Amino acid sequence: MYRILEKKEIGMRHVRFKVHAPHVARKVQPGQFVIVRAFKNGERIPLTPVAWDREEGWITLTVFVRGKTTMRMATELKEGDEILNVAGPLGNPVEMKRFGRVLAIGAYAGIVEVYPIARAWQELGNDVTTLHATFEPMVVMKEEFERAVGRHILEPVPIDMNKSFPENMKDVTRKLTEKVRELLEKEHFDLVLMVGPAGDQKAVFEVVREFGIPMHVDLHPIMVDGTGMCGSCRVTVGGEVKFACIDGPGFDAYKVAWDELIARVGYYTDMERRAMEEYMKALQGGGE
Amino acid sequence: MATKRKLIKVRVPTRERPVEERIHDFKEVNLGYDFVTALQEAERCLQCPPDYAPCIKGCPVHINIPGFIGKLLQHRDDPDRAVKEALNVIWACNTLPATTGRVCPQEDQCEKNCVMGKVGDKINIGKLERFVADYAREKNIDEELLLEIVPKIEKKPQKVAIVGAGPAGLTAAGELAKMGYGVTIYEALHEPGGVLIYGIPEFRLPKDIVEKELDKLKKLGVKILTDHVVGSTVTIEELLREYDAVFIASGAGTPRLVNAPGVNLNGIYTANEFLTRVNLMKAYRFPEYDTPVKVGKRVIVIGAGNTAMDAARSARRFGVEVIVAYRRGEEDVSARVEEFEHAKEEGVKFEFFLNPVEFLGDEKGNLRAVKFERMRPLEERDARGKRKIVGTGEYVTIEAETVIIAIGKHPNRLIVNTPGLKVERGRIVVDENLMTSIPGVFAGGDAIRGEATVILAMGDGRRAAKAIHEYLTNRAKNN
Repeated sequence: MYRILEKKEIGMRHVRFKVHAPHVARKVQPGQFVIVRAFKNGERIPLTPVAWDREEGWITLTVFVRGKTTMRMATELKEGDEILNVAGPLGNPVEMKRFGRVLAIGAYAGIVEVYPIARAWQELGNDVTTLHATFEPMVVMKEEFERAVGRHILEPVPIDMNKSFPENMKDVTRKLTEKVRELLEKEHFDLVLMVGPAGDQKAVFEVVREFGIPMHVDLHPIMVDGTGMCGSCRVTVGGEVKFACIDGPGFDAYKVAWDELIARVGYYTDMERRAMEEYMKALQGGGE
Repeated sequence: MATKRKLIKVRVPTRERPVEERIHDFKEVNLGYDFVTALQEAERCLQCPPDYAPCIKGCPVHINIPGFIGKLLQHRDDPDRAVKEALNVIWACNTLPATTGRVCPQEDQCEKNCVMGKVGDKINIGKLERFVADYAREKNIDEELLLEIVPKIEKKPQKVAIVGAGPAGLTAAGELAKMGYGVTIYEALHEPGGVLIYGIPEFRLPKDIVEKELDKLKKLGVKILTDHVVGSTVTIEELLREYDAVFIASGAGTPRLVNAPGVNLNGIYTANEFLTRVNLMKAYRFPEYDTPVKVGKRVIVIGAGNTAMDAARSARRFGVEVIVAYRRGEEDVSARVEEFEHAKEEGVKFEFFLNPVEFLGDEKGNLRAVKFERMRPLEERDARGKRKIVGTGEYVTIEAETVIIAIGKHPNRLIVNTPGLKVERGRIVVDENLMTSIPGVFAGGDAIRGEATVILAMGDGRRAAKAIHEYLTNRAKNN
């Protein structure tokens, strides 16, 4: 049981939890993640420690509300409550070295996962530019980034109420790829990092590939245990089957089988929607 | 009182839920004995002397089987006392009898050499063990016995860390706690039990029974830390600084995948993932439970071991057609006879001599069919005594929306990467005392064997506890 020390809404649908989890705080390195189970009949979801204090034994986790579990966490959990399970740290840390000039990209809530990596790389002597593309009300961690890295670029996209959500998301993808192209045309970068939805990662990768710059991606396949025992998170990298939870989550973007990954992350969409709808119905019906 | 013993040749049957009822839920199939039927079965036992009894030799943890059966007979007029004394005999060697009575392959272990087998049916030892454990739990007799045992334990100053809360780790923990050591188990998942919790389905081993059995270990003083992934949350080296000895019982949790194109299509599960979703996460109760699982109209299970039977029977309970496809023949099926029979009764279909060569998908990346090559057996046998097989060049394609791959597992990679730990073919290397290449670090169960059985793991747990006790006793003497 892991106590919630603080809970704060840091942007639309973005909720930050500061959680007492000394076993994770003691060991976690940038690039690693945890598996959280918040409720008794709940599922296990992967989240990324964004900040931590090894002495005080806490980590922060930012939850982007996108389905039933994250919605429940945002609505039902309060400061002082406990999260049932926080397992970790899991996965491999990112490589800690001087790459030179780095462009670190976060789409939507992916930016919170970029933070610990970008900050550590900057501290190590890299010149890090971070780029955050998201909807206007979802801009988060602006000040933290401005303090942590050489330059922080924001690409806020307004939400057009006359368009469907998928259409709005296409605007973000377009803005993101345009901005990346503009940056790569004007400046020299030694490495690109990106965290975000697999479709956007692929779109950005296709631009980066034209410039031949090395690109590192943190992949987000579906996970269950997060310790290498089930293979739910398997991805094809360089023609080989890899388990993202123990071989990753970071991989060389040039080696990832993107279309396969995109198909796999969408496998449960219909069931996810059903879970969310029934939860919303219950909330409205049973309302406290 | 002493009447002349008459041989009762036929085994007293246990009740089973009818097929048409049980395939719609995940509740236990076999209902076990009650006191009356248990006594009837117990009376068939010839009560061979313990130093001779072949059944004891066949049990990997050497439970005094005629001893516990004798207690039932001795106190037939007082069921509570009969069970309490029988449980006391079992606990001397095995702290998880409700589990082992259900999942051990008794036909290959204790029951294999039962003398009664020469004149009739062998004694139903597993179901008698299970009866004792179940009756004791229902009547709180196990609690009573614990209260008597715990105060007698003489505490020792040394501490032992156990990696993994599966059958091997839990058994070692129980034994070491009874000896008085301070025991802490480090478990990666959110619930202890290992394969008992995530692998073996409810209809063979109800999860609340496992949980109650684990509560007993806690009352013996065993501490269990879940969410701790050894190799990452804490390393073996760090454990050695805090503990006097370490026992690695991390199992064989890494699934093997079929090496064929299309293996990452949607709808293809490893048995580990499918069973973890269904058992541990209770996905069969979605959306009451949050974890989803998708089971198509036709499911193909690849492999024919116990894991394959568990996966096939679980999938059947979603009301769909299930085919087990095996590359060898029916006589090579490695699952327990009881499970194989149960699967057939429940309508699981079997296709033999089919080897998957390609998984075929649709434009959305979802599985739609599996292409198999027909195999044929040769006279020649392999190292395990199974007939070798060769491809015929003839292919058959079977449509399916779901595939579950159950062709085996490897030991966990996170632990075997420990510096200084000698590993061969992914398995931890141990000496005759189950000690690894690192002094003070022992290992057992599937981590040293590859995929084996629950009871072999428990046997290792017991051996390791003894070896650790000797190691710590010698070390204390030499200091």
